[in-house]
Amino acid sequence: MENLTHTPVPVDTRRSTLVWLALIAATLATWGLGEEGASGPTAVAALLAIAALKSRAVILDFMGLRHAPLLWKGIVLGWLALVCTLIALAYWKGMP
Amino acid sequence: MQYKSQAVAKPYFIAAIGLFLGQILFGLIMGLQYVIGDFLFPLIPFNVARMVHTNLLIVWLLFGFMGAAYYMIPEESETELFSPKLALALFWIFLVAGALTIVGYLAVPYATLAELTGNDILETMGREFLEQPLVTKIGIVIVALAFLFNITMTVLKGRKTSITVVLLLGLWGLAIFFLFSFYNPTNLVMDKFYWWWTVHLWVEGVWELILGALLAFVLIKVTGVDREVIEKWLYVIITLSLVTGLIGTGHHYYWIGTPEYWQWWGSVFSALEPIPFFAMTVFAFNMVNRRRREHPNKAATLWALGTGVMAFLGAGVWGFLHTLAPVNYYTHGTQITAAHGHMAFYGAYAMVVLCIISYAMPILRGRAANSNKAQVVEMWSFWLMTIAIVFITLFLTAAGILQVWLQRVSDTPLPFMVVQDKVALFYWMREWTGVVFLIGLVLYIASFFIKGEEKAA
Amino acid sequence: MEANVTLPLQKPVARHLPGDLAIWFFIAAELLAFCVFFAAYAFTRAKHVELFNAEQLTLDRNAGALNTILLLTASYFVVRAVQAAEAGLKDKVAPWLAAGFLCGSGFVAVKVTEYADKLGAGITLSTSPFYMFYLSLTFFHFMHVLLGLVILAILWFHARRGNYGPDNATAMNNLHSGASYWHMVDLVWIILFPLVYVLR
Ligand code: HEM
Ligand code: HEM
Ligand SMILES: [Fe+2]
Repeated sequence: MENLTHTPVPVDTRRSTLVWLALIAATLATWGLGEEGASGPTAVAALLAIAALKSRAVILDFMGLRHAPLLWKGIVLGWLALVCTLIALAYWKGMP
Repeated sequence: MQYKSQAVAKPYFIAAIGLFLGQILFGLIMGLQYVIGDFLFPLIPFNVARMVHTNLLIVWLLFGFMGAAYYMIPEESETELFSPKLALALFWIFLVAGALTIVGYLAVPYATLAELTGNDILETMGREFLEQPLVTKIGIVIVALAFLFNITMTVLKGRKTSITVVLLLGLWGLAIFFLFSFYNPTNLVMDKFYWWWTVHLWVEGVWELILGALLAFVLIKVTGVDREVIEKWLYVIITLSLVTGLIGTGHHYYWIGTPEYWQWWGSVFSALEPIPFFAMTVFAFNMVNRRRREHPNKAATLWALGTGVMAFLGAGVWGFLHTLAPVNYYTHGTQITAAHGHMAFYGAYAMVVLCIISYAMPILRGRAANSNKAQVVEMWSFWLMTIAIVFITLFLTAAGILQVWLQRVSDTPLPFMVVQDKVALFYWMREWTGVVFLIGLVLYIASFFIKGEEKAA
Repeated sequence: MEANVTLPLQKPVARHLPGDLAIWFFIAAELLAFCVFFAAYAFTRAKHVELFNAEQLTLDRNAGALNTILLLTASYFVVRAVQAAEAGLKDKVAPWLAAGFLCGSGFVAVKVTEYADKLGAGITLSTSPFYMFYLSLTFFHFMHVLLGLVILAILWFHARRGNYGPDNATAMNNLHSGASYWHMVDLVWIILFPLVYVLR
């Protein structure tokens, strides 16, 4: 690699820990909705929203794309938006 | 030339170009038979010409790959070839065996050839691309193993680079998947299933490793860009090729009697196969833009860039066109397939072999690059052949779309031969464009004989 | 255990990709593959809603949720490993990576019991569209977990030799690349779990 230099990344372990705990909590929420047998448009919307928020946190905080070039941040967040939209669309299409 | 033994590549390259010329001549014969049905009948029936056309293609590409390996491996490993004598002996064995096989195709009826060559001992003949008599097939395996032994020993005693590793993997894979040509179950579904293990897993699997290695080698040489940069891309590209290509085999398993899930696996993974081809293009242009030297061989650089673009178009775009199950339902085995086959084979494998020949041949003849005049002619040949193949592809695609429409989609489908008559105009245009291709190839050959001020080695 | 390190950075850092461009290209390709698979699942479900709703109930939701937690935790540990390396705490990198590896292995163990259960019940790719997708999607992801574990193991091996620290740019680049890949595996599961196990 030509003259690779190390670019320091902001280190904030407290924030990472909080994000992790929030992610666990969100997972429990998803699981709980499953146990309830939640179904229908509201449940789908809620579950998708939880998944999207979790994914966003992983992308920005864990993967560290918060500080990445906007192009790449856009690509991965755009992917998330696309996936959620497609799933929502398909579930809407499958409604009785 | 840094190592004496690299010189054995030269006869391989010359043979490759010679057979390439033969392939094109038979292509033109067939192209004419498409519109003038009894042309050269009964001397050379269509099915025989087709066999010669496609087998010559495979054989000249194999000559090209072997020549490339003999040229690259000593330089990459920084040591002389393990045995140049073996390499030369194999060259003659392979050439004579290949020539005899072609003569066999042309001289006696195929069924007689099968009888004469012991097809009843182990029935392997009669399948597209794998038509070779049993003895030829065994010969290919022996030559391939001796060749692999030779280059593997060279790599083992010398420096190991990611290019040699990838090249070796590709060549070993080539030999291993060829073994499936000996397996010919009587169950037609199983037969087809494993036939693709040779055919598909070659061009959309292990050959892509060879392609990547050759391209990376030439790019390092002509751009002077650091090895590490190129190596990372090489690994990403081959991983993507293998993951998508291996499972992508499913795009041949849609309705041949295989389980239904192949429609999903095949569609999804083969739809992703264009990505590594796209990466190759990006990679080639990226490297050339970041070049650290101006190599005198401009023609080789042009071939390298052309390979990236044309492989992406032919394999990536034209492959994607008919790879999804619902589309393939209509297009299977039509002229669309032929259009894709031509552009993909030319864009990926013919071009990369022409690229390495273009780079290595001047050096093998004691100079860094050919004279300006020779290079200009070579670049003309590049454009003529490449544009010709683009138009051949477009004409065949047009013929294919009409064919699908009139013969398959329509509410009142027409019979096959009626439709063939209706699209004959496109076959004529394909034939004339084929002549342009031949002129391009002749110019390519001519460029080797043009004198002028040469650049010192 | 908590040795919270916070390096407040007043000046905004120049935007840059964590890891090599090549690995991000790879990640993008992988994400695209999963996107196609997710959409294929969802739109096929739209055609067989009742079948999918019925057979979804045969999946072990507890196992799925447990696996989500395992992957999230593995990711968190990998983050801590990278942060330790960034902060120059070289001897902390390997233990965090090892912890991540353990959680990932836990995922594998849980998944294997799930597969054993389904295959034991005679379920195959040809049983029904739902099981075809369940097996295909999770198995494709499963292969990624295995690859991710191999990568973590390699990183751990180098970390043990104290290779990762702000003084070694190339090594840090490799560490970020490997970590990014692992997070991608996690990210995909975050969608996959609700989609296949819960959404109805
Ligand atoms: C350099 C790479 C490639 C080469 C040389 C190549 C060549 C060919 C050839 C010669 C055939 C016809 C086989 C026959 O005789 O039946 C074929 C078929 C096919 N190829 Fe490729 N191909 C390449 C890459 C791809 C890629 C990347 C895709 C998908 C994105 C693709 C999709 C297909 C499909 C779907 C068929 C079957 C067509 C049918 O059903 O008739 N190919 N290819
Ligand atoms: C330039 C003039 C050429 C002409 C007129 C020509 C013509 C033909 C014809 C008529 C066929 C038989 C199609 C059929 O079975 O219906 C064919 C097959 C084939 N040709 Fe060519 N060809 C030419 C050049 C090339 C080149 C340059 C390549 C590759 C580098 C090539 C690769 C192939 C392959 C792979 C097949 C088998 C395709 C399949 O199975 O779908 N041809 N060609
Ligand atoms: Fe294929």
